[in-house]
Amino acid sequence: MASIHKPRVGRVNADILKQCLSVCDGMLTDLEKARRPVLKATKCSLDNSLYDHRLGYLTPGDKKVSTELNVSSVKKMSRAIFMLEVLLRNLETGSVNTKRELYYISKGEIKHNPLLKALDFGDQDESDEVIDFICEMIEAYREEMNCFANDRGGQTYSQQLVVTETMPDGTQAVIDLSQLGTSPFQPKNRPQNLTLKAKKKIDFGLIIESEGTANTLVANGFTKRHNSIVIGAGGVPSNAVRGWAKRIQDQLKIPLFFYGDLDAYTIQNIYRTLKAGSASSLIRNSDFSAPEVRFLGVLPEDITKYDLNDYAVNDKDPSEARSLKKAKDALQNDPFFKDKKNRGLAEILEWLAKNKRRCEQQSYYAVAPRDPQMAEKIIVEKIKRGNFV
Amino acid sequence: MTKKSSKSNADETPKPRAGKKITSSSTAEYFSKNLQQVGFSSPTKAVLTTVKEAVDNSLDACEDHGILPEINISIEKLGPGTMKNTDKLRIIVDDNGPGIPDEDISKVFGEYLASSKFGRGRCSRGQQGIGISAATTWALQTTATPVRVISKTKDQRKAVSCSVEVDLKNNKGLTRDRQTIDWNRPHGTSVEFIMEGRCQLNGEAGLLSYLRGNVLVNPHMTLNYTLPEVGSATYERVTKEVPHVPEPIEPHPHTMKLGEFMAHGRLFGRTKLQTWLKTGFSRMSDNVIKDMWKAQKLPMALLSKGVESVSDEQLKAIYAAVHATTLMAPSTQSVISIGEDAMSLSVERLGEIDFFAVATRKPTICDFKPIQVEIAIARIHGGESDEPVQVLRFANRVPLQFDKAACAIVKAITTVNWRAYGLRQPKDSLPTGPYILAISVVSPFIKFKNASKETIDASDELVEEIRRAIMQAGQRLARHLSRENKAADLEEKIQHIEKFGPVLVDTLVRITKSAEKRKEAAYAGLKKILGRDTDVAQNKLASAETKLDEANTARKKRLKAFRDEDSALDAMRAPNPEDVETSLEDDEIDAEEIAVSKKSAKEPKKSPKSPKSPQSKKSAKAAKPSILSVFAPEKPGKKGKFKEPVKVVKASKPPKTASKKPTAKPAKAPAKKTKPAANKK
Repeated sequence: MASIHKPRVGRVNADILKQCLSVCDGMLTDLEKARRPVLKATKCSLDNSLYDHRLGYLTPGDKKVSTELNVSSVKKMSRAIFMLEVLLRNLETGSVNTKRELYYISKGEIKHNPLLKALDFGDQDESDEVIDFICEMIEAYREEMNCFANDRGGQTYSQQLVVTETMPDGTQAVIDLSQLGTSPFQPKNRPQNLTLKAKKKIDFGLIIESEGTANTLVANGFTKRHNSIVIGAGGVPSNAVRGWAKRIQDQLKIPLFFYGDLDAYTIQNIYRTLKAGSASSLIRNSDFSAPEVRFLGVLPEDITKYDLNDYAVNDKDPSEARSLKKAKDALQNDPFFKDKKNRGLAEILEWLAKNKRRCEQQSYYAVAPRDPQMAEKIIVEKIKRGNFV
Repeated sequence: MTKKSSKSNADETPKPRAGKKITSSSTAEYFSKNLQQVGFSSPTKAVLTTVKEAVDNSLDACEDHGILPEINISIEKLGPGTMKNTDKLRIIVDDNGPGIPDEDISKVFGEYLASSKFGRGRCSRGQQGIGISAATTWALQTTATPVRVISKTKDQRKAVSCSVEVDLKNNKGLTRDRQTIDWNRPHGTSVEFIMEGRCQLNGEAGLLSYLRGNVLVNPHMTLNYTLPEVGSATYERVTKEVPHVPEPIEPHPHTMKLGEFMAHGRLFGRTKLQTWLKTGFSRMSDNVIKDMWKAQKLPMALLSKGVESVSDEQLKAIYAAVHATTLMAPSTQSVISIGEDAMSLSVERLGEIDFFAVATRKPTICDFKPIQVEIAIARIHGGESDEPVQVLRFANRVPLQFDKAACAIVKAITTVNWRAYGLRQPKDSLPTGPYILAISVVSPFIKFKNASKETIDASDELVEEIRRAIMQAGQRLARHLSRENKAADLEEKIQHIEKFGPVLVDTLVRITKSAEKRKEAAYAGLKKILGRDTDVAQNKLASAETKLDEANTARKKRLKAFRDEDSALDAMRAPNPEDVETSLEDDEIDAEEIAVSKKSAKEPKKSPKSPKSPQSKKSAKAAKPSILSVFAPEKPGKKGKFKEPVKVVKASKPPKTASKKPTAKPAKAPAKKTKPAANKK
């Protein structure tokens, strides 16, 4: 049973600074007393993931990764403290950086101080790993450490939605999505700064796996005909998309639907991450998952119902074979799919693993090739009839 | 089509038209028109094959007569050749061999299929007596110059000098300008070819690669050469023991097919069946025959019948019984083994060798023939790592340089998982790294793919046997690399402490804005903590280094023992019947086992089963402790007490093949294995 893990939206920099200083001070005290300092970080993996349907997202268990100072770990620990100093400086000054920039900042530091040469990162993967370790250690989001990834995915269209963004200096910007023309609204990596308001009642939100298909629906008038929000996820949802969906769910309290391919990868990597977060981001799932999102399709029964074009999974394709294997593993080990509330999703995964078929979201366009609105009609019909999981 | 077959198929085949006679050609005529079949397919190959045939003959002759070979090769450009991209070359190969009797000179150099080695079932380099006559033919065809031969046997006061050419019509050698001359050596042969060709030195098919290969597999040979653009060089011998020349032994019954088996029996006429089986084959003792008869339920009375009175059906039943019986592997007496000891010494002549692993497999039967596989893996010091390893292939101690891809040896190498032994390997390819991989296959009946003996046929059994040899050496290599990596890892850890400790404390102090006093205290604490780790790490490192040192010392000790024994054998060359009595059966002793039974080998055990045989000396040698097969010299690149392998006398630059180093390094840099003395405790 998971301990109730409360979201920590709006955690202030001062808290994090205080926590970091405390960690460093503890390490220094240990060293003074000739004790080996130990850094403990939350273990972010599936075997430390818990799922409680009342919360709706994956939470961390009790397992910690302990790093004790010794001849093998001294390098990792030194690098972590070195990078922490860089991040703390950003927090103090309010500067923000991407991981790539932090990699180069560390390079610059090392260039100007030959004593630090031993800490040099061979490539960005090494510095990213250290940043992730720091975040797991103090259970902070990367964004809380003023480290942001590129904004990716989440292009949003609506005729009813108005977004108010609170800027770092306290000023506010109001964005009426109906006034953006054909341009979408791009959610930010820190959606916690956004406040949402509906000009008119919004009936539902539709998150589509393919940004291209989302654009097509909007271009064909979906948002004009339906009071809705249409979001293109762009593959595996980024933090921005996950946080944005969570924001919409919490503030607008509208039904949210996900529409994507019927295959193992989509179900367990894309949809599960959007709905319940991921094992590698256990500490942030509370603010970066939208448990109310329902799986609209493509559903296995849609294949026969709409005579959709599906095809066999190519076992020889390594990525497809891996997805199938992962699907079988997920059914046995993933607490999300094992939970009885998600039985419907688990059944879809079982169906996929057993039948080794897949069907793409764009296959709705094969139903009536000369009717550009057919996909829209099917989606709306499915929502009206409650044909989702 | 032969004349006989054309007659038997007279009904189906059209009769020759009137006026067109079926004529017979001499063997010499055939080969003169098909020199490409015996290694003279291009001017480049002509030069290499000429040198190869002359050197092979010299080495075979020296071994037959127990002479330590000293071979001199000289190639000189006389001017441009008439063929495109060729030179007129003078190729001289001379040796200190037994010399050729006067009456045989014309046969050796001018007659095809005239050989003293054909069908003897021995592992000699030459077999059919074609190669050197083909070289004479090539010289005659390209420059119309006969071969000049000088030869002297130990019974002759003066040497015979003559020119030899080939009478193609009659397949005879013709001697001209015969004269006797003074020659300042007790015996030997010198042969001089004037021919057109191209002298290719570098690359796998180059002369230098051929010479390096020969140097490796002939540790008892001293080689001097003078080549165009390279100059002169000398490889001194590293052992004074002439390899034991395998005596023709009786065939192993498992090497025979049914027809051969029956034909072999018919040769014995009235001889009793039991006597035939016992004396006509190896590994068939009375006990073996008796057990076989019982197991296969053959009538005992049959054993006392004469072979000629045994019916074909009965012979077939006996053949089946023989093949259903497990017999001892064929004797090493039928194959020449270079031996791990000698190969260990010889491998250092290849250049700056970092360390190596050698392995000699027990002889076994592959494709009905006795066979023995030996392998040396040597790492070139300072090499780089993205090039494939250099492969040196040998068949009966003759380097193979062409048609590599189809060879059994290369097939075996590519099917081994080298990553398990610490080498990199692209899929289905040769491993990469600064390594020389020398693999020798020895057998009285090697199955070549063509008449020019360039590639060993890749039968499944042979490939598997070579694979096993590779794996044996690979395991030794892996053990060594593992020790090296451990040492490097530990050293790296110690360096980590020195590098990272102060940085960690400084950063923590800066973050917490602590006072200098705290910093000093933290330093002191860190020193205490990591000092303990350093001690542990250093102890482990010292232990790993000690193991390496022990391995090196043991190897040196055993190499010394080998040399001492070599000298002792040299001194007591005369046969000693008592030694013969106390010999062990060498062919049953695996090198690994020898190492274990060091003591027993020094105190020879009396074995009632040990036959009195001239093999005893070799047996005694084989029973001495096996060399440590993997070692690293004290300092990489140093060759210890051995003579510098290549002395360039006249040359402007060293042989390119020798310097052609594969560009790979092992995953963990071996350079790190020498830890600074200051770190040692």
